[in-house]
Amino acid sequence: MISPVKIWRRQKEIRKLIGKKGRVVAWTKIFTPGSDFKKYAPYPVVLVELENKEKIYGQLVDHEKEDLKTGSQVISILRKVRASSSDGVIAYGVKFKPL
Amino acid sequence: MNYITGYYTTKFGEIWEKSLFDLVKEAITGVLKQTNLTNKQIDAVFFGNMLAGVLENNLHSPSKISEILKVNIPIFRAEAACASGGAAFNLAKNYLDANRNKNVLVIGAEKMTDYSPEEAITGLSAAASGEEQEAGLTFSGLYAMIANYYLEKYSYSEKNLAYVSVKNHFHGSLNDKAQFRRKITVEDVLKSAYVAYPLKVLDSSPISDGASAVIMTNNPDWVKKQKYKAAVLASEVATDTISLKERKNIDEILATKIAANNAFKNAKIDRTDINVAEVHDCFSIAEILAMEDLGFWKKGEGGENIIEQPTMFGNGGNLIVNTSGGLKAAGHPVGATGIKQIGEIFLQLTGQAEKRQVKNVKYGLAHNVGGSGGTAVVTILGI
Amino acid sequence: MVGIVSYGFYIPKYRIKTEEITNVWGKNYEDVKKSLLITEKAVAGVDEDSLTMAFESASSALSNIKIDKSKIKAVLFGSETHPYAVNPASTILAEFLGIEKNYLAYDTEFACKAATGAVISAQALIKSGYTDYALVTGSDKGMGKTHDTLEYTAASGSVSLLLGKDDLILEIMDLESFSSDTPDFWRREGIRYPSHGGRFSGKPSYFYHIESSAKSLFKKTGLKPADFAFGVFHMPNGKFPIQVAGSLGFTHSQIQDSLVVNYLGNSYSASALMGLMPVLEKAKTGDLIFLCSYGSGAGSDSFVLKVTKNLNKRRKEFKTIVDKKKYINYPAYLKAMEMI
Repeated sequence: MISPVKIWRRQKEIRKLIGKKGRVVAWTKIFTPGSDFKKYAPYPVVLVELENKEKIYGQLVDHEKEDLKTGSQVISILRKVRASSSDGVIAYGVKFKPL
Repeated sequence: MNYITGYYTTKFGEIWEKSLFDLVKEAITGVLKQTNLTNKQIDAVFFGNMLAGVLENNLHSPSKISEILKVNIPIFRAEAACASGGAAFNLAKNYLDANRNKNVLVIGAEKMTDYSPEEAITGLSAAASGEEQEAGLTFSGLYAMIANYYLEKYSYSEKNLAYVSVKNHFHGSLNDKAQFRRKITVEDVLKSAYVAYPLKVLDSSPISDGASAVIMTNNPDWVKKQKYKAAVLASEVATDTISLKERKNIDEILATKIAANNAFKNAKIDRTDINVAEVHDCFSIAEILAMEDLGFWKKGEGGENIIEQPTMFGNGGNLIVNTSGGLKAAGHPVGATGIKQIGEIFLQLTGQAEKRQVKNVKYGLAHNVGGSGGTAVVTILGI
Repeated sequence: MVGIVSYGFYIPKYRIKTEEITNVWGKNYEDVKKSLLITEKAVAGVDEDSLTMAFESASSALSNIKIDKSKIKAVLFGSETHPYAVNPASTILAEFLGIEKNYLAYDTEFACKAATGAVISAQALIKSGYTDYALVTGSDKGMGKTHDTLEYTAASGSVSLLLGKDDLILEIMDLESFSSDTPDFWRREGIRYPSHGGRFSGKPSYFYHIESSAKSLFKKTGLKPADFAFGVFHMPNGKFPIQVAGSLGFTHSQIQDSLVVNYLGNSYSASALMGLMPVLEKAKTGDLIFLCSYGSGAGSDSFVLKVTKNLNKRRKEFKTIVDKKKYINYPAYLKAMEMI
């Protein structure tokens, strides 16, 4: 179970990162994930440079194959990010979808 | 001057019958036997290990080693993800610089196969930042991002990376302690399944168990009596941000560059003087980057240079890289790797590398990296 | 006068066709289509839940108006697929929206009318002077057992309404609620999928409560179906709303636009509200809209809404958004619903 305190602290940061536009600067697609991400695999992860130059990571969702490339314009959205246990606090976080 | 006078490594691989400290015990016993030292003649021990706390709730290794060695000397553990071994060695070297006429035992060990691949992968991602873990970026995912970026930037394809694994598997076939002894082809690499695009199973070092140990000393009388000895000309550690995204450039490991520059400066030799090197090929891309960041190749040319295999044993090149089989073929029990690398250079410099012995070696370099480049250790040995 | 100041909706990208499901179970597609009048339904992704969808619809509702968020002192979250059995989603939603912290939050449950019930409470909180604005969300990632009728109908979606007393786009002219103990559809604690009483969910349940609630409101207000430009009813399938509208005296053209169930399925607490979305895309100033929800267990909330001229400046596109979709197959559907 992920610590609920960690999730709570993290969520304050997540809030500031939602709804931001950016550009993909690097990407990969994960085929062999760790335990918390098994149900989402395979999934693409992108590194996005936001308009304010800040860089953040996130999975890319609701996309077509051609959206997964360097230079794609994306926007950050709120989604569940990891599924650690059925009795733990739910971790919501940042993912991206193509603009 | 500090000298390495002995080296022992267990086999690397899936060593079901041995626990972490069984492996540690084997390596300690082995290296003491090699150098005809008794436990009483060791003044301090430095231990490199990354995952025992995470995977098996197994900490306080100093005390566990005290029990194995039956001594009451100072024992320290170092952790820097995959550079734990190198970090332990660096601390040991600094200990010798500060204390005269001492013998130190440096040992790196890891036990990974008691756990499912997902548990091991999750454990390894402790080497990444919280945000990287939250995004589901596994360790392979981070290097895959680097690889994808590099291949795109310099217009290479996955094929360019495959040559690294082919070379290292060939070397592994010459090393009876290696996990993988089978040669592979470029086609084999390209056909293997994706782990994280563009890296495939055969681009990636395995999950392994193993322990490696060296004896290092600054006792001149003792050194004189030794059959095999190699001088430690430099040992440098440099660090960088934990998060890949915070680094200046994604296609280089700055910590490697800094550690290498400092090491060459202290050793007072040039890149061209190095005859053998063990570089950190946790993934094929990592070896390409290492050759560039260590200063052997120009940035961006690694993908092209590797095709002709100039660093492969038997090809007549001036610099042979990863004769042990690298992390890819020898295996990568995380904490042990840094010591194995130094040990392999020691074997090369003292003519003990058997089937993979490179001729006319005078200087060697070992390069150990932690995580996606958060720590780098560069060690230069010479005879 | 209290009413709706702005609105937002969210429909996930994915759709599964009724035909895809009938193929798996060897049913006759034409028969199923004819009986349910649903050709496809919206499916939320594996990483979406009622909260993430509520965030999307609520962000949309707050996006095209400038208000001081500290004036939103009520946040009500209606769902039957809450992220937690115990822990409010309303506070998670409010926090992500930047609404803090002097506000009342609570989650409501009344099957498919969890949100409209909250609208009734919310407008009362505004009328009493407790708050200037209230945010009400209806959001569900509807679950249905495999090989059950609900598999064709249970869908995902969210609608958010910002209620207030100034600058309204829709005035709540009057409202009524009708409730009874009628167990037509339920889910026990710890049980994953809802169960239903088959045909019992028809006449004694859906029809009885909607008709009673509607007639009660008509009597109260002196209005009749012909006075309305549009009628919007809860849509458990494509047939029921047509039948109940007809029996109350609405024409088919009055309810036609609202029948999102045909191509989106039944998004439970968001269902009736979602039916309002295409209506608001075309409603004109002065139009009266009759909105009537139904929640199993059972009850029905009915509202008389009047369109003001402000709708023109806050109208949202619906049809084009709905068409931004991607079809998935049955295994992908099971994965998205975490059934495998």
